Formats: sequence, structure tokens, C-alpha cells
Amino acid sequence: MTQNIRLAACALLLGAWATSASAQGDAKRGEYLAKAGGCLGCHTEDKKDATPFAGGRALKTPFGTFFGPNITPHPQAGIGKWAEADFVRAMRHGRRPDGANYFPAFPYPSFTKIDDRDLGDLWAYLRTLAPSSRASQPHDLGFPFGWRFLVTVWKWFFFTPGPYLPAPGVADIINRGAYLVQALGHCGECHTPRNFLGGPKRSRFLAGGKSPEGKDVPNLTPTRLKKWRDVDFKDFLVTGVNSDGDVPAEAMGEVIRNTTSQLTPEDLAALIAYLRSLPPLPE
Amino acid sequence: MNSKLLYSCLAVVLGTGAGYATSVLAQAKPDVLVKQRQAVMTLQGKYFGPLGAMASGKAPYNAAVVQRNAGFLDNLSRMPWDGFNPNTKNEKTAALPAVYNDRAKFDETASRLENEISRLVTVSRSGDEAAVKAQITAIGKVCGACHNDFRAKK
Repeated sequence: MTQNIRLAACALLLGAWATSASAQGDAKRGEYLAKAGGCLGCHTEDKKDATPFAGGRALKTPFGTFFGPNITPHPQAGIGKWAEADFVRAMRHGRRPDGANYFPAFPYPSFTKIDDRDLGDLWAYLRTLAPSSRASQPHDLGFPFGWRFLVTVWKWFFFTPGPYLPAPGVADIINRGAYLVQALGHCGECHTPRNFLGGPKRSRFLAGGKSPEGKDVPNLTPTRLKKWRDVDFKDFLVTGVNSDGDVPAEAMGEVIRNTTSQLTPEDLAALIAYLRSLPPLPE
Repeated sequence: MNSKLLYSCLAVVLGTGAGYATSVLAQAKPDVLVKQRQAVMTLQGKYFGPLGAMASGKAPYNAAVVQRNAGFLDNLSRMPWDGFNPNTKNEKTAALPAVYNDRAKFDETASRLENEISRLVTVSRSGDEAAVKAQITAIGKVCGACHNDFRAKK
């Protein structure tokens, strides 16, 4: 354990050195960011022994079913032919290398807030993955939602590109938490309710409600969170069981396994501090 | 006595027993059934919670506790389901209508839980810590899968 921490510290130091020495991203740091971003969930098939990041997860929405694509560096099946600029365009602007829009099932309205350095490190990490030849399948969308140009209109309403800017006069820990929740963690993609166009209801930011599938999604603002002590909430986000031994719905169970349980104690504390700082919104 | 005859007798006796149990159950009041099945869920939480903490490295691994709790859970995991009697439909609980509308899937998930817990009982005797932890995670996934589809947010 101590050795791991030491190794991680070395990696961080090396990473800092590498970034200052050249513009190359730091893959080790990127690996952590990929966990904080929960990339694995949508980009890995939901079956035993599925190849990580080779795509195939189905995301059912009222507009149709989306399939997470292969993001390993395979030249045909994955994103092996991409340049770093293509990756940045996808994450920051929601556009494919050919300029067409991604559907916002790919949560670029959140990922646009990831800063330049983290994007570079994420890209460096993705390049280290073993190329998988698993072919990405096309989305299965209802009429007329398959028309990508409609997304232009959607973006006009609901998409503001640009990295997260730390709020002035706010503690660093809160800003770090906000960055983890809003940018990488893309928590609002499920925990903020959506209107009939699939756009987030900003006045209900992180206040939970009904998911597109009609499932209840918990309110993350202090209205509900005040019932949790920090220690219990932290344990829940690490172990996947609350203090009563209760297990959350698997949609969150997976997020706990892939993301929150993998965060450093400092990042987990920041995440909680930020949620506690939100305005309490009624259920 | 040949074994065929023995088994037929056994089947009749067990069948009558099961029939008896169901007829008793049909008389249980819906609110009591709900209370009972919730009690089972509470106890499952009591005995699963520490295992979840061990699997994620939050609590130190204790093979004896795993074995004991696995045994408890093996029995508990078979108890809740007959409490989801259709006559409890209108009780105020977190159970979603899908429990009764998609009974096949509900039953399938329930038996998946029973199977995964039986497997934990076996694995916990092997002393293979990694395998035990993986099996605990597998159980957590089944719990969560059922809560995903059949339980309202609390």
C-alpha cells in the first residue's frame, strides 16, 4: 500500500516533469483520469471477459439505443487513425473527425469542461491500450433522431463548449470537486433531469428525478445528502454498500466500481465537499 | 422398498407440504408479508454489508466472518420472494409494479441471487481470498441489477 502510494507519487512527479519537458501527455495520469471519467462503462460490452474500451455497451434512451464505440487504437475498428486534435475536437466540441456531430449520448456537454492538460493525458493513455478489432455497431435510433444535423440545433440550445473555469472566491477543494463532478464524472448526465428534447433542466442541476427510462434517480443536492454523514457517504462510494448493507441500483454500482472507488481520498473528499456546497433543491 | 417408490412417496409428501405452505401464505395479510420480506432484506444487508466492505478493501479480510455470513445469506436469500405476493401490490413499498408485471424476470433475478450466494458458500470454504472477493462483487451486481429494475429510489 505504502509502496503503491510512493509509486503513485513518483509517477505524478515524473508526469509533472514529462509535461514540462515536452507536450506529450502522461499516460499514467491519463489512466486515472479515464477512471474518474468512467469511460469504461459505455465503451465496454456488458458481458464477462469483454475487452475494455472495445465498445459495445447499449444505452437505451427515448430516442433509440446508442452503442458505445471501440476507442482502442485499432486503425479500422477503433480510433487508431486519429490525431490528438481529433480527440480534442470530439471531447471539447462533440464533433467527429469528419466534422459531423456526435449525438449527446456521448456526454461531451460534460467532457467539454475537461482542461487541456487532462485531455492530453487521457489521449496519451488511450494510445497505450491494446488495439481491438471488435467492430463498433451503428446506433439504433427512432425516426427522425438519426439525423445528425438535428444535433446542431440541440447543441445551440444545450451545449456550451469550453473548459471548467474555477469559480472565483471559492475554496480549491470545492473547485476540484466541481471539476470532478461536472467535467470528468459527468454525474449530471444521469442526476440532472432532462426535458422532452433530452436537454438538461439547468434549474434542477443534480436534483435527480426520472431517468429517460422512467427510473428514479436520486437527488445529489444537500436536501437528500444531509441525511448522510461524510464518513458513510465516503464508504458508500468506495464499497458499494451503505451503512445498512444496502446495495444501490447497478447503474450506480458500476459507477462505484469503475470510478468513485478508484478516486484518491483527496478527490473523493473534494467531490463530497462540492456536493455539500450546492444549493439544496427540493425532491 | 425400491428407490422409485421411495422418491414418489417423498414427492407426494413434499408436494403436499409445499401446497400447505402456499395455502397458509395466501391467508397472510399483505401488510404482514411486506413487513416480513423487508425484515429479510434488512438482515441480508446486515450480513452482506461487511462482505462488501471486505471485497473493496475497506475492511480487513476475515475468512471466518465470510463463511459465517455466507451461510446466513444462503438461507436469507431464499426467503424474500414469496413475500412478493400479488396481494401486496397496493401496499406502500419501494417495490415497483414491474415485480408483478414482469414476474418471469423478477424470479429469474431472484434465483440468480440464490445461485451466486450458494457459490459464495462453496468458494468461502476454499480459502481463496481473491475468488471470494470476486464472488462478493458478483453478488453485489445481482443485488444492484434487481434494485435497478424492481425497486424505487429510497
